[in-house]
Amino acid sequence: MWGALLRLGGRRGLAGAAPPPAAPWSQVVSEAEKIVGYPTSFMSLRCLLSDELSNIAMQVRKLVGTKHPLLDTARGFVYDSRNNLQMRGLVVLLISKAAGPSTAELSFQHNMVSGIYSSQRSLAEITELIHTAFLVHRGIVNIGELKSCDGPLKDMQFGNKMAVLSGDFLLANACTSLAQLQNTKVVELISSAIGDLVQGIYYENSKSSEENCLTDDIGISTWKEQVFLSHSALLAKSCQAAMELAKHSAEIQDMAFQYGKHMSMSHKLHSDLQPFVKESSSDIMAFSLNCAPAVFHQEFLGRDAWIKQIREAQGKGNIMDYKKLQEAIKAGKGVTSAIDLCRRHGNRALAALESFPPSEARAALANIVYAVTRFS
Amino acid sequence: MALRWGGWWWRWRCGASARRAPPPLPPPHGSVPGPGSRSSPPVLGGAMCHFAQRSSVLSFPKICNIFWRFHHTSTSQMCSCSKTVSDEKYQDPFQLGRKDLKNLYEDIKKELLVSTAELREMCEYYFDGKGKAFRPMIVVLMARACNIHHSNSREVQASQRSVAIIAEMIHTASLVHDDVIDDANSRRGKMTVNQIWGERKAVLAGDFILSAASLALARIGNTTIISVLTQVIEDLVRGEFLQLGSKENENERFAHYLEKTFKKTASLIANSCKAVSILGCPDPKVHEIAYQYGKNVGIAFQLIDDVLDFTSCADHLGKPAAADLKLGLATGPVLFACRQFPEMNAMIMRRFSKPGDVERARKYVLQSDGVQQTTYLAQRYCHEATREISKLRPSPEREALIQLTEMVLMRDK
Repeated sequence: MWGALLRLGGRRGLAGAAPPPAAPWSQVVSEAEKIVGYPTSFMSLRCLLSDELSNIAMQVRKLVGTKHPLLDTARGFVYDSRNNLQMRGLVVLLISKAAGPSTAELSFQHNMVSGIYSSQRSLAEITELIHTAFLVHRGIVNIGELKSCDGPLKDMQFGNKMAVLSGDFLLANACTSLAQLQNTKVVELISSAIGDLVQGIYYENSKSSEENCLTDDIGISTWKEQVFLSHSALLAKSCQAAMELAKHSAEIQDMAFQYGKHMSMSHKLHSDLQPFVKESSSDIMAFSLNCAPAVFHQEFLGRDAWIKQIREAQGKGNIMDYKKLQEAIKAGKGVTSAIDLCRRHGNRALAALESFPPSEARAALANIVYAVTRFS
Repeated sequence: MALRWGGWWWRWRCGASARRAPPPLPPPHGSVPGPGSRSSPPVLGGAMCHFAQRSSVLSFPKICNIFWRFHHTSTSQMCSCSKTVSDEKYQDPFQLGRKDLKNLYEDIKKELLVSTAELREMCEYYFDGKGKAFRPMIVVLMARACNIHHSNSREVQASQRSVAIIAEMIHTASLVHDDVIDDANSRRGKMTVNQIWGERKAVLAGDFILSAASLALARIGNTTIISVLTQVIEDLVRGEFLQLGSKENENERFAHYLEKTFKKTASLIANSCKAVSILGCPDPKVHEIAYQYGKNVGIAFQLIDDVLDFTSCADHLGKPAAADLKLGLATGPVLFACRQFPEMNAMIMRRFSKPGDVERARKYVLQSDGVQQTTYLAQRYCHEATREISKLRPSPEREALIQLTEMVLMRDK
């Protein structure tokens, strides 16, 4: 997803011009990290050093060998550097730097390191804490739906307990850090973002267990609303909050919001499109039937025809033939529509950036957009 | 040493400092028992002192009753003039707080407006008005008591009422998560959220309620209040973690138990009392009084809860009994019982995991004086709470808060 190969970006105008040759993703990130002053993969998450979390780490080890999803989440943090990128935090830092010092309060200046206020750094960390907390909370299993192949009940109960506790711990830390910012508007924004995130995840979960509902009966506009909640709201509102911390104007706050929103929508679309745009088909990736191309496809084809295609792909053994389904979708207009939408969001993100003065930080933010709108 | 009424009253008057002087003392009404012990005169003197505007006086049998109870429950010397018993009629705290709390659950539901019907249903599940609403009640009573103390105004500010709402929401969010953690299937006489909708959604519902509470908190617009109540959220989580661990050493165990009790139960009450006191009165001494009251009442409340887990039966409680033992938790009665029956140590260390442990432990506790000791400890905390709150200017609310400490001790569910 993030790892699409890109060539290095230049400094031409942003929206509208042909996207510059883009850099390898890792390079985009390391450039960005230099701009914000330190590698964000060390972004404190101070609480990681706490007693409580080492307690949890010990306990989570007991989950090794079980099938509880928390183990995957935990592994993701340790081993998968791509997932562990702390993208959101990086974006918050970049946009803070791009917006520059507060014009409203000149006395603010002393608190800046590498052009970013310490409160904004704290906010970046808070954003990551919240994102991580919900990654963890997503990994809860429904005890009532367990089958014997899932392993002993005790393991699952234990895993749930650890997942709830660690997620709560991260959230509590986020709340405490938020309170320390001493800014009620920011607390309001981020609290509402958490509410949005919960609703978004709720929709993600709400797959009907009815037989013919492997996919929701939603159109693309509903899809957009739901994805905004689960994938965009947090970053959008954090970007806005970062501006508020520096007392930037309402217009700048809105532009930051727009950037965060549209960039993350593009990112989600980009991610959803991966199974459909990769050329190599040795590994057929399973994909969600509620991914963007599928939702578009359903909208064009009509639900009944779509359900029929799903059934055909399921075949007799009820095992989904993803390759077949993928081809059905590619044959329709779903993929191109999703790509278009991705680019439209990308352009809106770039347009929002125009309100910020040109700078390395702004260029880095643009590079991120190029990275998530490139399909080749 | 008998205290003269006149001298006693004079001392109280001098201690009143910035407050308005109360109206003159009515002559002692009816016959009064002679002071038998040190602790009695202040009680009676207080009864005779006239604080409120009205002229009602406690009847004699009532004085005797109160005197007896205080005599038997207090172990430290009463502080001189501020220990009083109101000459108001018995104030039922629930009655007093009822008006403010009437729309509490409706208002909470307004904070939980969310488009998904099922998510809303889950979040509203416990705000059906059947809970004790104990915490919000303390909060509004404390708000009034502090407001009166500061400016003689009984009105509860909107922000103070918000604190009551927020406290109840934070409490409920933690209950929802606790039920998932403990894999509980009933609470308040009905099935738990996780039992009905599954664990995944239950955790989300808890998160949503918390976020709504946080939003309401931000809207009050006061960064100090945000800090005070956010502390609660942190303490609740740390309390859960404390419960995960256990201590080898008997002495450490008790401290650990009390710390966990503070974090899991008392912190919410203490900090919400403190928050409303900050909103109602600028005096830091008052904030400390409110905090100490809340803390002591909160600890007492939990201690009694732990006792009830042994003494009450499941139907009455609304949730399964001996639940703590089954979760591997060694609470007050167990820790006390262990002093009499050291064989319990091994069971405590293995968290009652062997078959038959729960039953054995229960029997030991009921044979020991664990329940009585824990109750006695709760009484002492209540006494401390009363001592603190009595430092505030008298009011029906203050008396109700004192009355409440009695109710904490007497509850059976």
